[in-house]
Amino acid sequence: MKKLYTIGVAAILFASCKPSADVTTPSTAGEAVFTNYLAVGCSYSAGYADKSLTVSGQLNSYPQRLFEQFETIEDGFGANGPFIQPLVTGDNGYPEPKLVLGTTTYCDGTISLAPVATTLPLDSNGSWRYINPVNNAQINNISIPRIRVADYLVSGYAGLNKYAQRFYYNPAKRPLDELYSRVYNLGPTFFTVWLGVTDVLGYAVAGGQGDGTGNALPVTLNIYNSNDITPTSVFTSAYDSILKAVSSTSAKGALINIPDVSALPYFNTVPANGLRIDRQSYADSLQALYSTLTFDKVFLQGDNYYIIKDNDDQTRQAVPGELILMTVPRDSIKCAGWGSTKPIPKEYVLTTDELQNIRNTIKSFNAYIEQECKLRKLAYVDINSFMKTLSSGMAYNGITYSTEYISGGAFSLDGIHLNARGNALVANHIIKAINAFYKSTIPQTDANKYPGIKFP
Amino acid sequence: MKKHVITASLLLSAMTSFGAGYQLNLQGLRQVAMGGSGAAWPWDASTIFYNPGGLARLKGVQIYGSTMFLMPSTAFGNRDNSGVTSANEQSASQTFTPFNLYIGGRLNEDSRLALGLGIYTPFGAGLKWDNNWLGKYIVQSIDLKTVFFQPTVSYRANEWLSVGAGFVFGAGSVDFRQALPVHGAQGADIDDGQAHLHGTATGVGFNVGAQMKLRENFQVGLTYRSQVNMDVSAGTADFRVPTSLRDSFPNTKFSSRLPLPGVATIGFGWRLNDITLQMDFNYTGWNSFDTLRFDFAQTTTSLNNVRSPRKYRNTFTPRFGICYKISNTVALMGGAAYDPTPVTNGFVSPDLPDADRVVLSCGITVKPLPGLTIMAAFEGVNSVKRQGNYDHAGFGGVYKTTAAAPGIGLYYSF
Repeated sequence: MKKLYTIGVAAILFASCKPSADVTTPSTAGEAVFTNYLAVGCSYSAGYADKSLTVSGQLNSYPQRLFEQFETIEDGFGANGPFIQPLVTGDNGYPEPKLVLGTTTYCDGTISLAPVATTLPLDSNGSWRYINPVNNAQINNISIPRIRVADYLVSGYAGLNKYAQRFYYNPAKRPLDELYSRVYNLGPTFFTVWLGVTDVLGYAVAGGQGDGTGNALPVTLNIYNSNDITPTSVFTSAYDSILKAVSSTSAKGALINIPDVSALPYFNTVPANGLRIDRQSYADSLQALYSTLTFDKVFLQGDNYYIIKDNDDQTRQAVPGELILMTVPRDSIKCAGWGSTKPIPKEYVLTTDELQNIRNTIKSFNAYIEQECKLRKLAYVDINSFMKTLSSGMAYNGITYSTEYISGGAFSLDGIHLNARGNALVANHIIKAINAFYKSTIPQTDANKYPGIKFP
Repeated sequence: MKKHVITASLLLSAMTSFGAGYQLNLQGLRQVAMGGSGAAWPWDASTIFYNPGGLARLKGVQIYGSTMFLMPSTAFGNRDNSGVTSANEQSASQTFTPFNLYIGGRLNEDSRLALGLGIYTPFGAGLKWDNNWLGKYIVQSIDLKTVFFQPTVSYRANEWLSVGAGFVFGAGSVDFRQALPVHGAQGADIDDGQAHLHGTATGVGFNVGAQMKLRENFQVGLTYRSQVNMDVSAGTADFRVPTSLRDSFPNTKFSSRLPLPGVATIGFGWRLNDITLQMDFNYTGWNSFDTLRFDFAQTTTSLNNVRSPRKYRNTFTPRFGICYKISNTVALMGGAAYDPTPVTNGFVSPDLPDADRVVLSCGITVKPLPGLTIMAAFEGVNSVKRQGNYDHAGFGGVYKTTAAAPGIGLYYSF
């Protein structure tokens, strides 16, 4: 029986010996110091999502995620809370209602789920002016939805943008002056700058107006028309001034480049060849309708390219690669002949030329940002390549994220801005670049922990 | 025009299943105690499983019953694309009870023919993670059970050769849960949907073997247990999703097939006075598990049939055991085995992460009364810490699995 006893002891020893993966890498800061983090950016950094600003959007912004991961650093150079964002007061939107999924009935009687503005009361009360109970100087995320690099040089800009007006010290001055005083007051040891997206995005969302260089539309009071692209010379000089301001306390940091905005769901949800022809007689009638126009036209049974109005006000058929904006009214296409007997207006179309303007500009802006990184020894975050990966589908912890509208899982209902999960994925991509550049070992976050799109 | 809705892609494409290591090798306590070896020597009625050829050499008719208490545990550390590892997770504690029942022996004392029936659990697996763990969209829990019924006939051709064959009917069940990345507008922020697949499965196969007593103290055994394809023909697939997605994820039926691999074994046994040494070599045909398929009776743009690549490779497992007969009533056993994983790199999935395993075991038998034998065995399994990725789902990390399995049983010879 002694032997049985021995077996029993062995069994207990084995059973009590839980396995341990015991592989955690200690979180270290490497060559940077993350104690005081400042985020500078536009809508993408402010937590703007579902076409508005809400408190949950802000609390799920990528700067918030970065801060939380900086907090895990164990060697004394990690973030010390709190991380202060100029929070709005509710979850319904300010100053516009946020989008939610709702049931929409179209003119042809079809019913489907589509984004609609929430009917709940706005969060204007208390959101119009942010007052930090502790100290206004302590705001760590000073990102302003919709702000462009070009706007940093505009005096009184805050008077034009409610999101800046909410918390700017001195709304009469330039955003650049505001940045200087905030950097001076906060004394950041680390910063991220993600600016420049809006300088191109406004043009894309407007269906490409102006000439794509920022010079065709009138410039009043130093304000470039937001329906066109910021001129490259204006972009580079303002961007350089911003970097001078943000690094005036010799903080280290990371610059995030500009993603190819034409890959966003907003431009890829309505296919340009969505003109469905079921009968030959219909094809023949369209052929007859446009017989006097000289453009190459193909109308066959099946999927055909829509009829559009291009940037030169010419009516023609769209060609492969051209994009239709998500906001094109569905009822007009379904019941009013848009895209078939009438052209889709140019503000809903990105033509080949316009796409070329967008892509060329992003290329030169990004080359400039990368050059600044080298010059100022900052980490370069290539979010453009991340966006490419995302467009082709990115398997991540059991989910395939993509740029598909809604089903892609990373973008909010506005089709332009990221949702909480997309923000976490961006935070992870930034951490990867920081780790590589500063030799830190900051862990990434589990993006699947955060909320996705909500279905009724 | 692309519909404005909203095909929440069901990430069933990432749905996975069973994993490796679902072969249990716990079919007889003496053999378990000796590293899982036992093809060459007919220890008791459990030879119906280990080598049907040995049944015709047993004395008398035996009734044999045993059970084990299998307690596996897996730890996981997520490894991100910076090479930083974090988020240690631990699978929930569970105890599984594979069992064995055997009855059989020669028809009468002079007969060369023996008949028997074995009911045993050759394959099975279960793993349960926290519902909100990092890999929840791949697997939350999995439970796989099989029971084989094996009527067996064995024939002793002459002094040195006996052969045997059994028909195998397998019955089983599978239960699988996975979170779905669709959230309702009501409820908690991270209130995921869930896919729940469960069904019963059946399959047939055979188990044949030959035992050769080449010398008085040296025996060789050859066995082949065939592959058994466990077919699920009408499993139930339930999806918990927000109301507006009900049509995209209809509750439906599914069919699937899980191949339980064939195993070829050669075993050797030497007996030197009170000591018996034995050695088995298993060659397991895991490569039959190439792709896991789930075919749904009703599919939608969101719910597609699942093809999950597995690409298992065949494995070669050496096993070694020793038995020391202390007296006519007590014997002690010990053994070891090295069980390499069939799971190749890039296919290491958290539903049953697998790595090369080292098995150490021991046991004791006591005969308190004539005809009655009481057995106890203990097996400890330790897997090598493995860094593995499941590329299909973009998931990777470091796994470490251990299992402890004590067991008891008895048999009576008439």
